[in-house]
Amino acid sequence: MPALRVSELTMRFAGLDRPALAIPALTLDAGSQVAITGPSGSGKTTLLNLLTGLERASGGSVCWSATDLTALGESARDRWRAAHVGLVMQDFHLLPGLSAIDNVLLPQRLARLRLPQATRTEAERLLRRVGLERIEQTVDTLSRGQMQRVAVARALVAGPGIVVADEPTASLDADAGAAVADLLSGLARDTGATLIVASHDPLFVGRLDRVLRLEAGRIVQP
Amino acid sequence: MFRLIAADLRRQWLGAAAVALLIVLATALGVVVTLQERALRLGSARAAAAFDVVIGAPGSETQLVLSSVFLQAAPLPLLPGRVLAALLDDPKVAWAAPVGFGDFAGPYPIVGTTQSLVDGIGGLGAGSAFAKLGEAVVGAHVDRAIGETIQPMHGESHWPASLHHGVTYRVVGRLRPTGTPWDRAVLVPIEAVWRLHAHGANADEHDGRAAPGRAADAAPRPPRFEVPIDPAALTAPGAPGLPAIVVKPRTIADAYKLRRQWRTERSLAVFPGEVLTRLYGTLGDARTVLSLVAWGAQGLVLAAVLLVVVLHVLQRRRQIGALRAFGARREIIVLLVWLEAFAILAAGVVAGFAVGYGAARLLSAGLTATSGVALPVAFAGEDAASLAVLLAVGAVAAALPALLAYRQSPAAALRS
Repeated sequence: MPALRVSELTMRFAGLDRPALAIPALTLDAGSQVAITGPSGSGKTTLLNLLTGLERASGGSVCWSATDLTALGESARDRWRAAHVGLVMQDFHLLPGLSAIDNVLLPQRLARLRLPQATRTEAERLLRRVGLERIEQTVDTLSRGQMQRVAVARALVAGPGIVVADEPTASLDADAGAAVADLLSGLARDTGATLIVASHDPLFVGRLDRVLRLEAGRIVQP
Repeated sequence: MFRLIAADLRRQWLGAAAVALLIVLATALGVVVTLQERALRLGSARAAAAFDVVIGAPGSETQLVLSSVFLQAAPLPLLPGRVLAALLDDPKVAWAAPVGFGDFAGPYPIVGTTQSLVDGIGGLGAGSAFAKLGEAVVGAHVDRAIGETIQPMHGESHWPASLHHGVTYRVVGRLRPTGTPWDRAVLVPIEAVWRLHAHGANADEHDGRAAPGRAADAAPRPPRFEVPIDPAALTAPGAPGLPAIVVKPRTIADAYKLRRQWRTERSLAVFPGEVLTRLYGTLGDARTVLSLVAWGAQGLVLAAVLLVVVLHVLQRRRQIGALRAFGARREIIVLLVWLEAFAILAAGVVAGFAVGYGAARLLSAGLTATSGVALPVAFAGEDAASLAVLLAVGAVAAALPALLAYRQSPAAALRS
């Protein structure tokens, strides 16, 4: 499992004097579970985007084991992310009209055209593990809690070493949120994956090993 | 991947169907213009195929061809009777036959001629040739059975017309289908037409289509029709005038010689094929204009379709961004967007060809019913080329939204 080493990371946006994000140093052990908290606009999503290679940093480096994301081009970052990162987002991003299992498998289908049978088996196992029995049901008819659980299964189906969730419980009620939080930390622990969750939700603070608090783009509580 | 396209199209089926329908209509418009113009050209050329040389009195070449080949009723000046005698005597001539107009049987023109022309345009399909003046051979699409009688009238049925009292023709034979206006004609011996119109007495005053009513007044007693045809009447020194003579030369060289020989101050000789070619020249200009209009419509529709597809892609920005964030390769997403756009375009273009073909067939059938000219609707090699061009343009156009999808940053798309 890759460990993270961040140094001198900055992210600037056009028109802003101060960098939106500035992290002199941050390391995470492989397999650790971290919550990133902080008010809206404190740079949580920006940090996640940089850590997953969705965006390129203005300066500094983001190294996962031997891979420095800031040195990779966009397509290379896409490939690296597909191989190593499972993402869960606030708005599930499920495709209406497709079944739960097809939604779980869609990014894999669009990554390699031919789907290995093992991936399908793993998808079925994960869907049952997150508590979905009718995997051929289209996602349009699912509850919001069930939708996010499908999204969790999708994030884990390729066996990523890093699981990243951005406000995964923000649009769920308390019970459904707790179920999703349990699933995320439990499943990441099962596979030994590093888990990074950006969330306002106090749910995660007690569940995860470590809490980082961001304010105005700086880590204030390491 | 195809499941994803299918799911997306299913969800947006109304929009996709509307877009495809636009493309179908624009393509069909272009196809109809091309096919119909070709059908008109082929059909009229085939209709003129049996008519190598037509000789008439000086006047309009186009009108001579329209009247003799396409049986469009019009007053033609008359050739002197001796011209036919000279042609029948000419070794360069395989056969020559007079074409005399004047009367109608309901909607069908009655044409006075000889057996040579009956044989020349395809021969009899049933019954026998006319042997007496009162006998007639009908075209394949004339709604009269063998044995029925026909009452000739001056002018078409919907005009104020007058009957030739007491005169009837009896149908004895039917022509093979020719795909020409002659399918809707009633052929009778030319002598009968002469007698009916009493040409001998006042030939100078007559034009090709006798003035309604006058001949009937001039001939109060019905002429005798129960007599055999007299071939000698054609070459008799006092033979009446004729509006047109159809000539079949023995060789191509003879055709040119005949045309030169009869292009004089007193007569006019034309190759109907040549006159038609000149007409197509004019028609061709019209087709160019129509084609430009059709192409313009297709271009506009393509632009509208692109706008819709681009809007669709922009609308799906977040979805596309999320798919990439989850590990989809962007090349494959681009392929997906391209395939979906191209599938709609291609389906519309192919269906447009089918609809255009069907519409052209319907149009041709309608025109054939009224004119008798068979208008063959058929695709040619050049249509495959224009299909390929349309599909290629569609493929390139579909790449535009795909490129848009390629250039979107997933992080920016997710933020929006």
